[in-house]
Amino acid sequence: MTDILTLREPVATFTEETPPASIVRGYWQSVFYRLRHDPITLGFGAIVALIVLAAVAAPLIAPFDPYAQSIIARLKPFGWRDHLLGTDELGRDMLSRLIYGGRVSLLMGVVPVVIAAMIGGILGVVGGFVGGRVNTAIMRTMDVFYAFPSVLLAVAIAGAMGGGIGNGMLTLTLVFVPPMCRVAETATTQIRALDFIEAARASGAGTLTIIRYHVLGNVLGPVLIYASSLVSVSILLASGLSFLGLGVRPPIPDWGLMLSTLRQSIYVVPLVCALPGVAIFITSICFNLVSDGLRAAMDVRM
Amino acid sequence: MGLAALILGLSAAAEQPAQAGGGTLNIAMTAGDLPAMTGNPDQGFEGYRFVGYNLYDSLVLWDLSKADKPSDIKPGLATDWQVDKADPKRWIFKLRHGVKWHDGCGFSADDVVWNLGYSADPKSPQFNPAQFAQARSYLGNFASVEKLDDYTVAFTTKVPDSLFPYEISYVLMISPCRAKELKYNWVQYALHPSGTGPYRFARMVPHQRLEFVPNTGYWDKTRIPQQDRLVLIPMPEAATRTAALLAGQVNWIEAPSPDAIDRLKAAGMQIITNPYPHNWTYQLNFVKGPFTDKRVRQAANYALNRSDMKELLNGMMLEGYSTVPPSTPYYGHPLIYRYDPAKAKALLKAAGCLPCKVTFAISTSGSGQMQPLPMNELVKAQMEAVGFQVSLDAMDWNALLEVTRAGVDKNPDISAINVSRQTQDPFNALIRHVWTKQWAPKGSNWGHYSNPDVDRLVEQIYNTFDPQKRLALLTRLNEKMNEEAVMIFVAHDLNPRALSPQVHGFVQAQSWFQDLTPVTVGP
Amino acid sequence: MIRYILRRILYAVPIAFGVSIVCFALVYIAPGDPLETVLPPDATAATIAIVKHAYGFDKPLPVQYLIWLGHVVTGNFGTSIATGRPVILEVSDALANTALLALFAVPLAFVIGGTMGAVAGSFPGRWIDRAVTGIAVAGVSVPNYWLGIVLVIFFSVQYMLLPATGMGPNGSTGFRLLQWNSARFLVLPVITLAMIPIGILARTTRAAVAEMRNQDFVQTLRAKGLSEWAVTRHVLKNALPQILAVMGLQFGYLLGGSILVETVFTWPGSGFLLSKAIINRDVPVLQGTILILSLIFVATNLVVDLLQPLIDPRIRRG
Repeated sequence: MTDILTLREPVATFTEETPPASIVRGYWQSVFYRLRHDPITLGFGAIVALIVLAAVAAPLIAPFDPYAQSIIARLKPFGWRDHLLGTDELGRDMLSRLIYGGRVSLLMGVVPVVIAAMIGGILGVVGGFVGGRVNTAIMRTMDVFYAFPSVLLAVAIAGAMGGGIGNGMLTLTLVFVPPMCRVAETATTQIRALDFIEAARASGAGTLTIIRYHVLGNVLGPVLIYASSLVSVSILLASGLSFLGLGVRPPIPDWGLMLSTLRQSIYVVPLVCALPGVAIFITSICFNLVSDGLRAAMDVRM
Repeated sequence: MGLAALILGLSAAAEQPAQAGGGTLNIAMTAGDLPAMTGNPDQGFEGYRFVGYNLYDSLVLWDLSKADKPSDIKPGLATDWQVDKADPKRWIFKLRHGVKWHDGCGFSADDVVWNLGYSADPKSPQFNPAQFAQARSYLGNFASVEKLDDYTVAFTTKVPDSLFPYEISYVLMISPCRAKELKYNWVQYALHPSGTGPYRFARMVPHQRLEFVPNTGYWDKTRIPQQDRLVLIPMPEAATRTAALLAGQVNWIEAPSPDAIDRLKAAGMQIITNPYPHNWTYQLNFVKGPFTDKRVRQAANYALNRSDMKELLNGMMLEGYSTVPPSTPYYGHPLIYRYDPAKAKALLKAAGCLPCKVTFAISTSGSGQMQPLPMNELVKAQMEAVGFQVSLDAMDWNALLEVTRAGVDKNPDISAINVSRQTQDPFNALIRHVWTKQWAPKGSNWGHYSNPDVDRLVEQIYNTFDPQKRLALLTRLNEKMNEEAVMIFVAHDLNPRALSPQVHGFVQAQSWFQDLTPVTVGP
Repeated sequence: MIRYILRRILYAVPIAFGVSIVCFALVYIAPGDPLETVLPPDATAATIAIVKHAYGFDKPLPVQYLIWLGHVVTGNFGTSIATGRPVILEVSDALANTALLALFAVPLAFVIGGTMGAVAGSFPGRWIDRAVTGIAVAGVSVPNYWLGIVLVIFFSVQYMLLPATGMGPNGSTGFRLLQWNSARFLVLPVITLAMIPIGILARTTRAAVAEMRNQDFVQTLRAKGLSEWAVTRHVLKNALPQILAVMGLQFGYLLGGSILVETVFTWPGSGFLLSKAIINRDVPVLQGTILILSLIFVATNLVVDLLQPLIDPRIRRG
């Protein structure tokens, strides 16, 4: 897989025309206004919501037990005896497995990004605000990890730690912390240099207050957008690791893993075997488009 | 750098392998890489099959000419062997006259002595630790070797060992002549290997392909290769091998995935199968947990519906009811645990183990493991139907091998390991799994099974040099192992391979090894 | 300017050092024996101990690191446990094969993605812009290893037009770029690998072109009465440095990040070497490959950083 992180390589900056958020009142209102009037983002956002809902409510909506096997029912086509999307190599219902698989994929897509955003964000804000040696120490350490192409780093860490959901999430978190930290640091440094911080300082505001009211408000936007764009990267990386045998362990339904095992049966029921790939593809597209819409609405240039 | 060579080499003419009568046999192996070429190969028995016994010979070879009965050993570089009547720890091997190494030197007793230094004696100048590691499993009982005359050697074993000829069949001989010429540089040796085998090394592209040509001066005139060239390509992914055969890139693939068989047949490919000494079982924990109770072990065996498993594999397996497949000479009449869920439930109840919680260590892939994930998931479902509660601890192949070698002491909470084994000779088939002296980490008795009756039987086997009497003892051992339910028996692989319609003359032996020499490839 | 270049180069040194530590450490977190490849499944504890000693794996870790680093600094990356070949040779062979893929995939992506992006950026908000944006998002969202599998089923198995795996009848050493017999092996992997760069370059180009068109000088050019075509040429010329920079980074990423595609096509490149080394726990190869790949990545970033101010005089750095 090519490194998708490059897409967001140029670090977030505010466009010159847009003043920092804390100055303009109702910034968030305007963001929501713009989002409400963006049908594409809303549409794909709705699909994302559906996928999330399906994953959360999997036990309620999955027509079959995703682990229930039946050898006589193995590798059946779409619509065979109530199995809307056919069955897999052990006769398990594909639709149910795809729904449950969404749980794992979303977990692997969202959790590492959220944790990395928190860790990276805090490190970046602290580094950017304090500056000096602390900043140098933080950023140089990040640079070391940044020096690895993300796929290489993910494979190397996952290979070292072994598979499993926990290790997979840890791996992806480690991969995402450095870029996250960079985004936060850049935004913080920019804000810090602006006059209004000096003004706040002059009026006697403490460091913590300044961070809370001014810095966080302005750093949150870029971090949020960057994080949202990483979700699909994370889903793709996680499924890739599972495909290589470095991710989720069976029998847990996971799209990457299903894709890999069903690859052996591709000549029996090609369409059924293509489903996990389609699921990854669609989910990834939706998250990407929503992230794009969010960026446009927040008017932050990446 | 390589890239520059690639681009600069544009004008060079493409290499076209010569097309004479026998054609080029292109084989896609399951191995992840090319097997080592410095004697005993790595990559398991696939390495022996395609590289080991083709480039090299051992003193004792396997007869691979028949498809209808299990292969046994036959004379190789040694023409005859006898145990010393005066000393049961001493074996006399008569060597073959007139054998030449690929480098032209002659083969003699000195070469045999040199080779055992190479793979077994850390103090000899030609010692190679990688070879030591490979050969150690077969030379565990080897003590020393001496030259009696130019064509006679005497081996001494640590304890009396009636099975020694089997053990020495896995020790391949490389040319000391070539090794000395290359100043014992084993990397160079791998690039210029020299043996006595039916094939000579032609060229290699690291990790990608290995090419052999016939050794027209091979000592066994009936086994001079009929094809012009043999090309070996590592292709670990089953789906890739299938695609490569269908796309016409190779004309022979090892182990196509069962679900691809119908598609391959539809394209006119020959699907060849034969039972061979392989088992797919669970080795059990005899120290801690439910399997210390024989009733639980039997219940697990009764719980399995092996015909479902066969269905899962599209027919590409033999139902496994014993450590060895039924065609084995010492199979005998073991107690058969046919699918009987009621009996399984009753046994579990009698043992007071309900639900009976067990943990299996399994691998996600690996040599001889067949389709480990779906197969284990099916076993889990079937066992849970009678009252077991199975958790599968899936790990990668190397991690499972770690668990396997370390033994039950380091892994007390694992109830069983799913490692398929070769069962080609009596030691590997039976003895190593149940002998107290083979307790891991010293040997392959992972779960520390121990039974004085069995140990006595094993000692008897080692001290019985009459083949017929030994066969009776081995049969008794196999029957005993079944009665004790020392494993959960599941399947024997059928070793499927798919050959293009142009490939002729292959006879699939009931062995891990195969003879490629009679194969030709038509236009 | 020279000071800037020197500073950037010096700055890469501690990073390289940090990278070497990470590489070394990563491999030793791994469970399992570093001598896995040379040990048969039923090796005994005593056998393992003897072999470990013979390979020097029984020394304390920091000592092993210093020995390794000492060798690496002099260009000696050790030898592969699995094949006995020098690691530097293993990596350079594999890297050449991966570079071959990248050398085709990146320009292909530049042409396709760049054209798509330029067209879209010239008509912001129109249907063509939306279509291109859609394709670009699809490009970065597709699991490319899956795409590779699908392409093989269609083009190799079903229609037998293109080979499914490997580098041709004589492997990488017999690869002849100008002969269709060899070159056909490139087609499917290159297309698969180009998908994500196409998406990325289309988006980058679109953004750069759209932004450039809003700038004052474009209005000036228009006011001067230049044709729309001439204006577009000026816009593209000004957007080029940014696009080229992204292209350079993509090249660096492809060298280290094509593991999945190489696995699907059994392409004997750096990613394939790496995944094999992970499976075999071939420690010297693993460390050497990760180190060399990330150093190349650091170097690509450095070169892109250094070249950018040269191509684009508007960017000034202190």
